[in-house]
Amino acid sequence: MAAARSGNSDMLFGVRRSLVPLILAFAACLAVFATPGISQQNATPSAQQPAEQQSGGASQQPSAGSTPLGGAATQSLPLPQTSTAEPVRYGPMIVINPAHGGTDTGARGENGLTEKEQVLILARMLRSDLERNGFHAILTRNDDSNPSYEDRAGVANAYRDAIFVSLHVASTGKFGTLRAYSYEAVAPGATAEDENPAAPRLPNGLVPWEQAQQPHVDASKRLADLLQSQFVIKFSGSPQSAAQYAVRDLRSVNAPAVAVEVSSVAVPDPNSLLALGSPLSIAVVRSLQLFRPAPVVPASAAPAIPPAQAPSGAPGPGGAQP
Amino acid sequence: MTRNLKITIAILMVAVIIGLLSLRGLSNRIARLQENPTSEEQARRALLTPKVSTPTDVLARAKIYWAGGADSTTPTEVELSLSADPAQRARQVMDTLITEAPTPEQRTLPEDTALVGFYLLADGTAVADFSDSLSSETPSGILSERLAVDSIVQTLKSNLPAARRLKILIHGQEVDTLAGHVDLTGFFELNPQVAAPAGVTTATPALAPAAPAH
Repeated sequence: MAAARSGNSDMLFGVRRSLVPLILAFAACLAVFATPGISQQNATPSAQQPAEQQSGGASQQPSAGSTPLGGAATQSLPLPQTSTAEPVRYGPMIVINPAHGGTDTGARGENGLTEKEQVLILARMLRSDLERNGFHAILTRNDDSNPSYEDRAGVANAYRDAIFVSLHVASTGKFGTLRAYSYEAVAPGATAEDENPAAPRLPNGLVPWEQAQQPHVDASKRLADLLQSQFVIKFSGSPQSAAQYAVRDLRSVNAPAVAVEVSSVAVPDPNSLLALGSPLSIAVVRSLQLFRPAPVVPASAAPAIPPAQAPSGAPGPGGAQP
Repeated sequence: MTRNLKITIAILMVAVIIGLLSLRGLSNRIARLQENPTSEEQARRALLTPKVSTPTDVLARAKIYWAGGADSTTPTEVELSLSADPAQRARQVMDTLITEAPTPEQRTLPEDTALVGFYLLADGTAVADFSDSLSSETPSGILSERLAVDSIVQTLKSNLPAARRLKILIHGQEVDTLAGHVDLTGFFELNPQVAAPAGVTTATPALAPAAPAH
């Protein structure tokens, strides 16, 4: 009985030993066919490059000789260029509001300049510069329309994390000076208790639309101060400090919000006003970088930070930061 | 020459003589208007808001806030006959603010603006009702509108200690903005230390005046 059991065992052991090389050979074949991208990349390297950059870039680039295939196939792959990879952007949406529009021309100069046209040009310049510096940016209008104050605020309020920058051109003031404003509430209220609410709330816990800016007054003031400190450097004659005032288009914005006013439409040469656009954009970008650094993440590191999560050390929604 | 032709020529000559005489009168009138230009709105303001004078007037120094540079208003002391009645006093200082700016550069409110009504409610809320010109002729822009509102608020704050807060109306109506920028839907703080009398609600005032000033 024991001898028979020993014979069976030997036989099974012999079968196993003969199958092992076959299994290994089969696994090796599977491994070769399970990497079809390599052969396809050889055929169409340009088509695969963006996908590879998106999915991992340089970190997934196999080193020469690290795989059994090594050699020619690997060396012929184009190296991913991390410097040219499209940056993955997180962080706040910068909502740029070119004021006025349509039948509302805003300030008008004797030279025919209108505020609505000038602010739209400046807003487009600003958006380009913001996007080049890694911010998301959107305009509340991109044509000669005139959305209501509420519609403009609604664009910003639709985002969980936004910063509202309203652009104006004044009809007065020394040419080439800029002023930044944040909102100062005029008491809207019905009762004395309502007149100075830090964060007004309805009984259901919601913030009234008409007072949506009030919880962000401090953050907005801090951004306006940063802007004005840049304006003082770049635009001689600008006031030393930002002002807080009841600027209407900031009132319903449920996010940090500032108004920037350029002086003025009363210039003989229309081009001289547009020449302010570039330094204005630089000043705004720099201020926003100080206010809320935009975490431009190289594509290779993209999976490390979930898109909805702010980087460590950055303030949460609303921008309040000590 | 026929009789009819003679009559026609005579009529024409008379018309020419009358025209020449009236032309002289017209040119004199134009010269007078150029010396003293008065717009239609100014004439209306003179009609609607005659010089305020009350039996309680006493000569006093009032602080009027005109522009003191590009970005701010500064007080200037002016000797005025001021009424003991707060509403009348407010009209007196507002009239001075609108019409007697020391220089054109210091003007903060359009020349044609008129304060058509001023009311002081029991809770300390002042309601200033301005003519359309304040809205339509103030240069558009945050800066210019800010100076306009600041000059009104500061002048009233300084000369009307009984007023707690200010509501600005345009032609009897609440408006969203002054000229597209500055929010006029709320109240501007004047003297917050003024307490509303007990039992008096501080609810948004009805537009019906409690103490009409005119």
